[in-house]
Amino acid sequence: MLTLQNVNAGYNGIDVIYNISFSVKEGESLCIIGPNGCGKTTLIKAISGLITHEGSIKIDGVEINKMKRADVAEKIAVMSQISTIYFSYSIYETVLLGRYLHMKGRTFKEPSVRDREYTDKCLKAVGLFNIKHKQINELSGGQLQRVYLARTLAQEPDIILLDEPTNHLDLKHQTELIDFLKDWSKYKGHSVIGVMHDLNLAIKLSDNILVLDKGNMAAYGNTHEVISSNILNKVYDMNITEYMVDSLRQWESYNPYLNINKLRKVN
Amino acid sequence: MKQKYKIILSIISSIIVIMMGVGLGSIKVSPSHIINIIINKLFSMPLHADIEGATAVSIIWKLRLPRTLLAFLVGGAVAVSGSVMQSVLKNPLASSYTLGVSSGASLGAALVIVTGFYIPILGLFTLPVTGLAFGMATVYSAVKFAAMMDKNLETNTIILVGMVFSLFVNAILTLIMAVAKDHLAQLTFWQMGSFSLKDWSSVIILFPIVLIGVIVIQSFSKEMDIMTFGEEQAFTMGVDVHKVKWSLLSLSAALTGSAIAFVGVIGFIDLIAPHVVRKIFGSNHKTVIPMSMLFGGSFMVICDLIARTIVSPSELPVGAITALIGAPFFAYVYFSRRKGL
Repeated sequence: MLTLQNVNAGYNGIDVIYNISFSVKEGESLCIIGPNGCGKTTLIKAISGLITHEGSIKIDGVEINKMKRADVAEKIAVMSQISTIYFSYSIYETVLLGRYLHMKGRTFKEPSVRDREYTDKCLKAVGLFNIKHKQINELSGGQLQRVYLARTLAQEPDIILLDEPTNHLDLKHQTELIDFLKDWSKYKGHSVIGVMHDLNLAIKLSDNILVLDKGNMAAYGNTHEVISSNILNKVYDMNITEYMVDSLRQWESYNPYLNINKLRKVN
Repeated sequence: MKQKYKIILSIISSIIVIMMGVGLGSIKVSPSHIINIIINKLFSMPLHADIEGATAVSIIWKLRLPRTLLAFLVGGAVAVSGSVMQSVLKNPLASSYTLGVSSGASLGAALVIVTGFYIPILGLFTLPVTGLAFGMATVYSAVKFAAMMDKNLETNTIILVGMVFSLFVNAILTLIMAVAKDHLAQLTFWQMGSFSLKDWSSVIILFPIVLIGVIVIQSFSKEMDIMTFGEEQAFTMGVDVHKVKWSLLSLSAALTGSAIAFVGVIGFIDLIAPHVVRKIFGSNHKTVIPMSMLFGGSFMVICDLIARTIVSPSELPVGAITALIGAPFFAYVYFSRRKGL
């Protein structure tokens, strides 16, 4: 689905990541981890086309450089981090914006029935349907994160890129988000690529892990193999295993509001 | 109140305001007579017997109607332009003036006034056309320069470069005003803005420009909604950010430039109208753009009505009235809504 080969990228002509190669298959979740400044966000930006790159980034065998912007956006959606809200919109209006590409050609028309239904389904999937008319500047950080998740889902992409998606979320909401994304990646063979700081959450979400160190690939492979190697201690310059807890217990005893089944009913 | 009813109420209010603008003054004319005079002029239908002579008809048709419609068009155009600039630059204090359109237009007008420069084919329109050309050239230069400095055309770069260009052009204008003291009063008056002695020719030229400008801007309403969340988000959602930004900045500058070229610099409406509209109707540009047109236009008509009647037969500069009324009105709407009153 997504393949990177020898990708270099950076800012103002100075590379920050070097020779990155990996691939993500349908239904796979990949987490990118590494210490601050190792190039995680740069890699996400290169994949999403926000910065230029050298090397090859292909979606379904086609170079993203050769694809139209709209075609890339149909395949890849980026779940944004919370930023300043300059002008407030309702939750529904914000999520409906995710249908932008689907609404092309309807400049002066109302959204189609499908666009409205799909928006409602995404709102139900993240548990915000009942407050969909509330203004987003009245929401907590966690609720706003769910609004952005719903908007990302409304884009109907094949791949979701996430840059530290659990910022602003408490433990319960972190675990629910990760579970939801895990479900979503298995649903119709979608893929999730996430930058994570929390290793427990990364382990929970990912099938494979890519470890970056100073812009280079320090490790890449099956999550449990990478985590159980000593490479993390070296990359983070500390005894990581000492701080790792068995996160699985965290996922058992809560009642999630994020529900992939509500999204499944759409199609 | 439902959005639909708010919109209907706004349209009705705008019609009432236009009627007031046309009907009130030294001679008062009722709305039914105004409509009768308009129909008489457009379709050669007979006038009511109780419309007094040719004076009332002349005042309404030749003076007040074109003046009021011009005020509505100018107010609407600068308000729509302000909405666009605030959204594209993600800055609630941004306007076309931030990018130097008024400074450029003032410089162009000053050169025409001081040098007596005259283009025969344009006749009396030499001044507005030169003002528009200079206003647009200033904005274009500012944005082009910003693009050279920052190929991503970041918002902060545009605002900073716009302000620098604006200050620079203002400095040239100040020098001209200092040297050409004979024209000082005329130059100052132009910069205060006025609708006096405007006839149909200005309306006929400005109307299609504003109509087309607003319709094209309206077609970008989804893109503007998305871009208020940030350009990176807009890009990843499939918006051609660079193209949309250039288009909207150009359209917005053209709207303001065209409007002020005819009547001089009138500020404040471009700043307050979009805020008031967002407070009442929400931030969705599908509604914000047309409602800014209605609100900005109506507000300008009211300000012009006050400017020409409060110390009649003299006139006050309409630019001063917009700020005098606009500032407290804006504070009332902003803070009362904020408190949920």
